[in-house]
Amino acid sequence: MTEIRTEVVDRGHVTVLRVVGSVDGATAPALVAAFRGAVAEGRIRIVGDFSGVDYTSSAGLRALLETVKETRQRGGDLRLASVQPDVRRVLDLAGFTGILKLYGDVEEAVASFPETPA
Amino acid sequence: MLHLDARAESPAAGRAFVEQACRRAGVDAASCFDLKLAVDEACANIIAHGYRGRSGGSIRIACASDEDSVRVTIVDRGRAFAPADLPAADVTSDWKERPLGGLGWHLIRQSVDEIDYEPDPAGGNRLTLVKRSRK
Repeated sequence: MTEIRTEVVDRGHVTVLRVVGSVDGATAPALVAAFRGAVAEGRIRIVGDFSGVDYTSSAGLRALLETVKETRQRGGDLRLASVQPDVRRVLDLAGFTGILKLYGDVEEAVASFPETPA
Repeated sequence: MLHLDARAESPAAGRAFVEQACRRAGVDAASCFDLKLAVDEACANIIAHGYRGRSGGSIRIACASDEDSVRVTIVDRGRAFAPADLPAADVTSDWKERPLGGLGWHLIRQSVDEIDYEPDPAGGNRLTLVKRSRK
């Protein structure tokens, strides 16, 4: 059985959500809950640290797109850092690389958000 | 042959089964990943749609390989479906217009080389996915 772990790290004006595990139909609800929880707390500038995510199915894509919509509608964004090649492959196949901003590492992704958001 | 209960946790077992078959067949890692993704999505659809509102559903998965390909057959007893009738997924519109969901069959089509579907005469579905190795 697969599981995922999520951890929220406060980086000032940006929230880093570190995710570890494989995201599929069984584990995606935990990812959705973590993203929704962050947005409900007003954390709308989110970096998804995906260095520890080795797999995603369409269930994970749904969680990502929902969070992109929720954050951008509030003036924020969800950006991904350290996406591994297999997960990048799924993002490419689904046409998600055209709508999601990807960064090489967490520092780069955090720095991409302006210090004083409008 | 792998027998699975139609539960949310089952696609992970399907992926592991396919990975073992790919390793035995000497299939390259990228092709193996694509086939695992397709089997995961197929199982997830069976669980979510084929057996929706029903308990006790089962999924059977068999793998066969020759020198350059792996063939996975997935049989269920859920509602019949016709992949050819499914609408194309939206993978190009911007984030505001992009619908949530509807990507499972798109990913299956993108990640394998052949898809054969037939309704099972005994009720249910028989789906065959073929992935050719890039080695």
